[in-house]
Amino acid sequence: MTPAYSLWVMEYAAVPNYPQSGLIYGMHNQGTRKLPYCYIVIKGQGQLAMVDVGYNHKAHGEMLANTYGVRGWHPPLEVLGEIGIKPQDVSNIFITHCHFDHMGNIEDFPKATFYLQERELSKWVWSMSLHRRFRWLMLGIDPADIMRAVDLARQGRLVAVEGDRENVLPGVDLHAAFDTHTWGSMYVTVRNDLATNSQNSWVFCGDLAYGYENLRGHDPKDPEYIPIGLATGSQFNVIMTAEEMVKSVGGDVHRVIPPHEERLKDLYPSRITKAGLRITELALADGDTSQVR
Amino acid sequence: MIDDATAAYILENQKCFEDLKQVASQLAGLLVLAAAGSKEAGPDHPMLEMAGRLFREAQDALRRSRPTHRAKRHYEHLTSAALEIGVALKAAEGRVGIDGVLIPLRAGYSELERAADSLPGFEKVSYQRACCGVRA
Repeated sequence: MTPAYSLWVMEYAAVPNYPQSGLIYGMHNQGTRKLPYCYIVIKGQGQLAMVDVGYNHKAHGEMLANTYGVRGWHPPLEVLGEIGIKPQDVSNIFITHCHFDHMGNIEDFPKATFYLQERELSKWVWSMSLHRRFRWLMLGIDPADIMRAVDLARQGRLVAVEGDRENVLPGVDLHAAFDTHTWGSMYVTVRNDLATNSQNSWVFCGDLAYGYENLRGHDPKDPEYIPIGLATGSQFNVIMTAEEMVKSVGGDVHRVIPPHEERLKDLYPSRITKAGLRITELALADGDTSQVR
Repeated sequence: MIDDATAAYILENQKCFEDLKQVASQLAGLLVLAAAGSKEAGPDHPMLEMAGRLFREAQDALRRSRPTHRAKRHYEHLTSAALEIGVALKAAEGRVGIDGVLIPLRAGYSELERAADSLPGFEKVSYQRACCGVRA
């Protein structure tokens, strides 16, 4: 069966040399790798959706570039334009978690409805009520994003999901992963044959895995789950969620898509744009033409 | 180049900046709850009392602060931020409605952002340990 959705991974910025220890638990003093920043486009069935939206360059760009080595940020208008899409045409956006680099660019998508876990929102608010010495719990959170979320809620464009939700779009499911990378992280499954027991599933995992080592370890002959470098919740939950995600794609770890994984380009058809950004094409729905060939 | 007196000003005022940011975050958090229809988000919410306490501490610190010439712009933005956030806080305590809080809150947070941009040592977001958070 032809895939129901076209699926693209769109790079919008990157850190050229990121320490492996920040990504894969225990990889201390083992060098660096490129860390791309990406969001996902889901197009088909009359829908245009995304997983995450990247960060707001006006608010964070200079600091991230100068202090943290993030390079080559480009706006959604330009990034999505590479595959013939405009940000204002995106109707549904699934936010895997509330860190600024995943939900910070809300204002560039004026017509979209945003879905995130209610727990992510409520624990986020709760953490603000704690004493300053607990500020580690607020890491990665931009107060300006909270104010933007107020507007979304008032416009009826913020959907606070409680737990799992099937068929949020046809064949697209949201799965809660509580107390993992963040309190209310979630991952998105696309059943690209629209079947209940899909033989053509993809998982978009947000930061529940940074790279394939998190999902299969260092030795392909003897796979194991290795936690990510950062968890507000527990590493136990991170590992159990990895098992859940891998099972949901029939054991094929390469169908779990970590947006920060540079090696996607070796696994799936990809191209580099004039701006130096990667587009990876995971699936092509009927009537869509390839954007990477 | 930061002179010694300005460096001392930065160290002295980091907590005041962080406190105002925290108050802004707390108020914004309550607004999200209110906008999402939560019944918890009224003027009796315990976070509001905490925000008020923190705000008064920030105000006191601001009164004690002696900015150098280099820090003057930062101080002005910080003072404006406190003024606007104070208006937002009062509105939140007085059941004025979302706009009555959100408009001065936005203005106050913008002033905090400008303050952060005008001197080093004041972070808008805690990037450290986030997935971008390893210094280059």
